[in-house]
Amino acid sequence: MMSQRRGIHLDQSELLCKKGCGFYGNTAWQGLCSKCWREENQRERQKQIQEDWALAERLQREEEEAYASRHQKAQSQPTITPLNKFEERKTKEKSSKVNTVTKFFIPSTKTPPKKDAVPFDTQSSPSPSSSSSRHSSVDSDHATREFIDFLKPLKSGREIFKQCRAFTESMVYKRDMGADELSECVQDFYQNLSERLQTQFKGSTDHVESVMDEVEKYMMTRLYKEVFCPETTDDEKKDLAIQKRIRALHWVTIEMLCVPVDEEIPEVSDSVVKAITDVIEMDSKRVPKDKLACITRCSKHIFNAIKVSKKEAASADDFLPTLIYIVLKANPPRLQSNIQYITRFCNPSRLMTGEDGYYFTNLCCAVAFIEKLDGQSLNLSSEEFELYMSGQASPHWPQATGASSCSPGNTALNQVHKRLDLLTGLGERQERVMEKARQLESDLIDWTDEVEQKVQSVLESYPPETQNPTATTASGTTSTASSAIDSDNIENELLPPPLQPQVFAG
Amino acid sequence: MAAGGAGGNSGGKTYSFKVVLLGEGYKLIIPPLPLQASFLTKKLNITGKRVNLAIWDTAGQERFHALGPIYYRDSNGAILVYDITDEDSFQKVKNWVKELRKMLGNEICLCIVGNKIDLDKDRHVSVEEAESYAESVGAKHYHTSAKLNKGIEELFLDLCKRMMETAQAEERLKGNGASQSASSRRGVQIVDDEPQATPAGGCCSSG
Repeated sequence: MMSQRRGIHLDQSELLCKKGCGFYGNTAWQGLCSKCWREENQRERQKQIQEDWALAERLQREEEEAYASRHQKAQSQPTITPLNKFEERKTKEKSSKVNTVTKFFIPSTKTPPKKDAVPFDTQSSPSPSSSSSRHSSVDSDHATREFIDFLKPLKSGREIFKQCRAFTESMVYKRDMGADELSECVQDFYQNLSERLQTQFKGSTDHVESVMDEVEKYMMTRLYKEVFCPETTDDEKKDLAIQKRIRALHWVTIEMLCVPVDEEIPEVSDSVVKAITDVIEMDSKRVPKDKLACITRCSKHIFNAIKVSKKEAASADDFLPTLIYIVLKANPPRLQSNIQYITRFCNPSRLMTGEDGYYFTNLCCAVAFIEKLDGQSLNLSSEEFELYMSGQASPHWPQATGASSCSPGNTALNQVHKRLDLLTGLGERQERVMEKARQLESDLIDWTDEVEQKVQSVLESYPPETQNPTATTASGTTSTASSAIDSDNIENELLPPPLQPQVFAG
Repeated sequence: MAAGGAGGNSGGKTYSFKVVLLGEGYKLIIPPLPLQASFLTKKLNITGKRVNLAIWDTAGQERFHALGPIYYRDSNGAILVYDITDEDSFQKVKNWVKELRKMLGNEICLCIVGNKIDLDKDRHVSVEEAESYAESVGAKHYHTSAKLNKGIEELFLDLCKRMMETAQAEERLKGNGASQSASSRRGVQIVDDEPQATPAGGCCSSG
């Protein structure tokens, strides 16, 4: 009755514990019964606690060494630190691919315990899903180390680090929260921290910003897996929708969008390709700032392409259509997820007034335009638009639409003719190749026949000396023949014994 | 950015403002930069206060009109330019004003700019009409000539002052910034220069 009402049928055996102990299992315990789950979980937990300890000890040592060396340096030659900092930043910029690990720190022995927000017990208690990401901790360690290195020369570096660490760890427990709430948490943290830094650095905005950049980098590297395209949102659905939409719009031409770019010029087409590469590359970055940098690079290439084509500086009137064109050509992976991620977790000041923010906003506009695009916005009638969208006609195929798209149609037609010529040429060549192949095949057959005949004639002229022509017909005779062979062996006993293998000391 | 001035903090605050340029006419008043003219930042010093001004160009074509909200979101000011010889362009400005007031309320400082005053003999939008309209919607009207480079400097300085006043009024309303609400976060960023009596480790009151 129950199963009927819900429209699904469940076999009783599916409800039992997967270990086969006869008790009922529970999906919350991965299909195990409470007893089996406890045993299973205990083992895993024990293992993870040990791993945690090892890792934490290692990092703790490193952290302490780092601070110790910093103090030495500061005492002996204080002028060397800014140089170090510069170099560290340079190396940091190169390595941005880092993995997330949930937590691996324990409070340092030097630190009074009250300062640490998260007690060790909660840190080491594992959650099943986090164990998989644990293995990629090496990269995440790298990010942590860089962050520590960056903070070293700062007066309150240690405090900043501890706060970020505690906050990042606390975020892991909030993964069931909605994406907007997570964003709210992170943004509040950014704001609070930057306010305090501003007090500390006495209003040196640039300094605060550089620290906030590193904070963002450290935190988002570690949280990326948890907060990028989280399951609580429909980001993934939107990704697929826009991807499908862009694919359906493959027929949109430069002319329809009024893009002032002439791809015949090599430098322009080069810039276009670079812009496409950059916007696709965005998805491979983890830190919002790095993603934004990709968009900015893409935009600069677009500006260059427009400038070379038009021979004058580009305005937003030229830029936006070109960006739309680039997005249509690139169809960047996980576009919506990336936009959402940047919006939620980027440093707000950069997004609001910075140059990166301006280009990002234009990208958002391009996506919004593509989503809502209709015939009118491409100067097409709605019938034409529908025809193109349904794939029944294409602007590259002037027969279908007549004179509506004349100039692009003509070039397309030329190309079609050229390709058709090429195809006929290829067809003829293939014909020739096939003929030769057939020739070769018959030659081969002839040759095998010839060889066979030769062998036959040789066999006939020199028949093999089979002592017993009846041997093949009667089984009885074969057995006698074999016994005869055996008896022959008796004579062999006169031969010397076979050589024995000898061991040489080598 | 201004790394040189980092050490000398003479007091005061740094304001960051975002100003959008909407409509088609503004292309006339912003002199194009050598590389690109769609985004520029300016550092100004107004009555002893530092102001970072970010000016956002927007695509003005009619088919991109619907994207307006994405551009002017979070902006502190908007510059709407019309051509005094073109009645139609003034109508477009009116549409923008309506939309901005509806979407952003009174928080945004609006500038209505009548450009091309060098062509006063061909004027089709009367000064009285334009100024009274601007007053009726709480905007300010300016007369400029991009050709003669007239009135543009004044326009930006005046806009900055007005945006600062708006920001300061908002500040007072909120109390002394002790508990800034989340809604203000993406808005104006105010940087306090007054050193508060906190030692180096003062920022660590976690837990």
